[in-house]
Amino acid sequence: MSDIREAITGREVRVDYASIEQTLAELWRIEKTEGVAVTRAALWNVVAHASNARDHDEASDTLARAAAAVPQRTIVIRADPTAPAEMAAWISANCHLLGEGKQVCSEEISIVAGGDHVQRVPPLVSALLIPDMPVAFWWLGDLPHDHASYVHDLLESADRLIVDSSQFDSPTDLEIVEGVGKRTDTAAADLNWIRLDGWRAATASVFDPPQMRDRLGTLQQIRVLSGVSDASYFGESVQALLFASWLIAQAGLDIDGDGGVSGVEVLFEARPSQPPGVARVDLELKESSAAIERDLERGVLVTNVDGRIDAPEAVTRTSARKTDQLIVRELQRPHGDPMLTKVLPIAIRMAKRLSRK
Amino acid sequence: MSSVVLEPNPLREGLEQERVPDASCLVIFGASGDLTHRKLLPALYSLAHDGLLPAGQAIVGFARPEYTDEAFRAEIKAACNEFARTKPADDAIWQNFEKRLFYVQGSFTEPEGYNRLKQKLAECDTTFGTGGRRIYYLAVPPNFFPVIAELLGAEGMVADPERGGPYTRVIIEKPFGRDLESARELNRVAVTTFRERQVFRIDHYLGKETVQNLLVLRFANGFFEPFWNRQYIDHVQLTVAESIGVEKRGAYFEQAGIARDIIQNHMLQLVSLVAMEPPVAFEAEAVRDEKVKVIRALRDFPAGHECELSVRGQYTTGSVLGEAVPGYREEPDVAADSRTETFAAVKVFIDNWRWADVPFYLRAGKRLPKRVTDISIHFRPAPYPLFKKIQGGRTQPNVLSIRIQPDEGISLKFDSKVPGATIRTAPVTMEFRYATSFGAEPPEAYERLLLETMLGDSTLFARRDEVETAWAWLDPLLRAWQNSPEPPDPYPAGTWGPPAADAMIEREGRRWRRP
Repeated sequence: MSDIREAITGREVRVDYASIEQTLAELWRIEKTEGVAVTRAALWNVVAHASNARDHDEASDTLARAAAAVPQRTIVIRADPTAPAEMAAWISANCHLLGEGKQVCSEEISIVAGGDHVQRVPPLVSALLIPDMPVAFWWLGDLPHDHASYVHDLLESADRLIVDSSQFDSPTDLEIVEGVGKRTDTAAADLNWIRLDGWRAATASVFDPPQMRDRLGTLQQIRVLSGVSDASYFGESVQALLFASWLIAQAGLDIDGDGGVSGVEVLFEARPSQPPGVARVDLELKESSAAIERDLERGVLVTNVDGRIDAPEAVTRTSARKTDQLIVRELQRPHGDPMLTKVLPIAIRMAKRLSRK
Repeated sequence: MSSVVLEPNPLREGLEQERVPDASCLVIFGASGDLTHRKLLPALYSLAHDGLLPAGQAIVGFARPEYTDEAFRAEIKAACNEFARTKPADDAIWQNFEKRLFYVQGSFTEPEGYNRLKQKLAECDTTFGTGGRRIYYLAVPPNFFPVIAELLGAEGMVADPERGGPYTRVIIEKPFGRDLESARELNRVAVTTFRERQVFRIDHYLGKETVQNLLVLRFANGFFEPFWNRQYIDHVQLTVAESIGVEKRGAYFEQAGIARDIIQNHMLQLVSLVAMEPPVAFEAEAVRDEKVKVIRALRDFPAGHECELSVRGQYTTGSVLGEAVPGYREEPDVAADSRTETFAAVKVFIDNWRWADVPFYLRAGKRLPKRVTDISIHFRPAPYPLFKKIQGGRTQPNVLSIRIQPDEGISLKFDSKVPGATIRTAPVTMEFRYATSFGAEPPEAYERLLLETMLGDSTLFARRDEVETAWAWLDPLLRAWQNSPEPPDPYPAGTWGPPAADAMIEREGRRWRRP
């Protein structure tokens, strides 16, 4: 086994998976003895689940960056039932300088399991969670439609399930997420929903002026244009669905079981030439119209209400936030997002309606 | 005329900034000054950067020097590049910000400038939809406050909230007077033009995250409050230390001294937050009602013996953080025989049920070894010294320390067994540091306070009765110092004040905590 002190430099050090906790304790004891000004910090347990090496590396890199803003114990799992039956573990530390030579470090544990050893992962993860700290579970990629007991066991201690609906391949994935939120104490979180923060803020700003406040109730048409690279891929349409669903929910509009919205026309259009995600929103109101769109040159969202000069522009960044920034945003939220819970059922009904067309 | 209550914007629900104020015209009187450049406009820019300024928010600088809008904007951009939390200024955000940033030249004492200002504000209403809403920030010496208030009133630039319609608010910077009489006069002038609820008295300490966290620490956690009283707390110490001297403020400081500059406002705000009862709600009046009760309960200095509960000092030549520095009397604009105190230590009692006979030791000073603001709660020792016979020593009392600045955080000191075959105890600390746990730099105090003003929430601002009650308590001490034939005790720059300050606390078997 390598010298465990190498872990403090960020290098992964292979350890016996049965004694991960003891090895970590030993690591910090050594650092203390050698007089290095290191502070260990954790506000969250973040467990990332990947099914291949590429996602595993992405999760590790992303959470290492996120740990600088939200200290956490990171556990990255790569589980592949089709791989040879074995299990291995590594530890490392994600450290950043705080000033005056002090370092703040978060611990990272990597677990790779294959074959029937995959079933040993949930109890191992459970044992490695820091007590009294919330647990976020980040599932990379599409959600599994089978292996229900494995997923159930992993999520048992999770306070938050983080997914990215832009990677979903069908409305069923949205239903799984909604189901977790409904049936368990685990709050659902979606990185794709967080990407809409700026769009929501800009749209909200349209209705901030007192004279606009009651016009939301006169909504007649919602038109959402999205940048897509593959219009047939479900994940690329989800952001637009979530946005429209949010407007419908907050405008107090009724949606029928078939996904239709009474009195309001909802249109989705694909723009292959645009970067992915929502590109423009047009709102037809009874006595006015509003548009929110990306100004790619200035890197901001701009709003325009009836082209009138008192229509304010809202400065909202359009630059795509990196995954670690989205995760930090989610972890900085002390509780789940009830708005997503409200929006998901509407998005599911609309997604099903669209898929039938 | 009845005012219409607007429903909240439902699209704001769940967004990071749920409370977005309506756009207004913010006028900064004293726009060419240091405070505007270093604090106010960088804070407003950072709010814009974080998407917290309402769309359409207009900002108008007003001062005597001649500037064009362009020249003013260029100067402010340079200031934001240097001083904003979110520096350097982002081009896209700045372009949007500067479109609503204007300058009007005028004298504070002549109506002509106010007419130009009024015209500019009307233009902003038309262009940006600011709807007649006004915030006047008086970043000016206090002697200008009466004339500015009078001219604003005379020119019809102040709306009466009792009549409904758009709001007018005024922000006043400390000092709020230099004694009770002048504070009352300032407040009297204020209410001839404004109503009390239109007046926002800014004490930037209240905008600091850690100061606000005092309320969260005490009232969001179940286990502190049962111990937060005379039964468990031996004494409380508050230190506001500055390593700098008076810098360019010698003339002002000569008139003020550390007691007026720090103790009357910042320190009493901290005392009131540490000692207050739980408010019935986290709302402006409820919080301020409880704070003012603490200040009312401060025990009066014993007549004729005021100086016995206090020590005042004045720094002499010394060195701070390795640099040789001059004494106070050698500073620019300071009299060679000055008797102004640059250090003060005061022993304070709060005569109420919770705090009877618990001393609060306050000390504030300039040219102390380092810049630090710290509150420490010293608990009573364990009732029986169980380990005294075994280890032959004494256990240390628990100390809860709240660091307001810098390196904001909270630590708790307690005794632990030293590993080994024998029972030996040693003090250890549990530490929480904002930077470690939350990483990101917290917003500047002015950002929070400006936003709260736009929202009309005065929880974090001093109320008239708080200010006047604080002066009423401090005035006898200030008079006693003024009438005392003794000058302040000298202390070398770079030390923790005169020896008398140590003696004051040590004669009661206690020691200043080294923050």
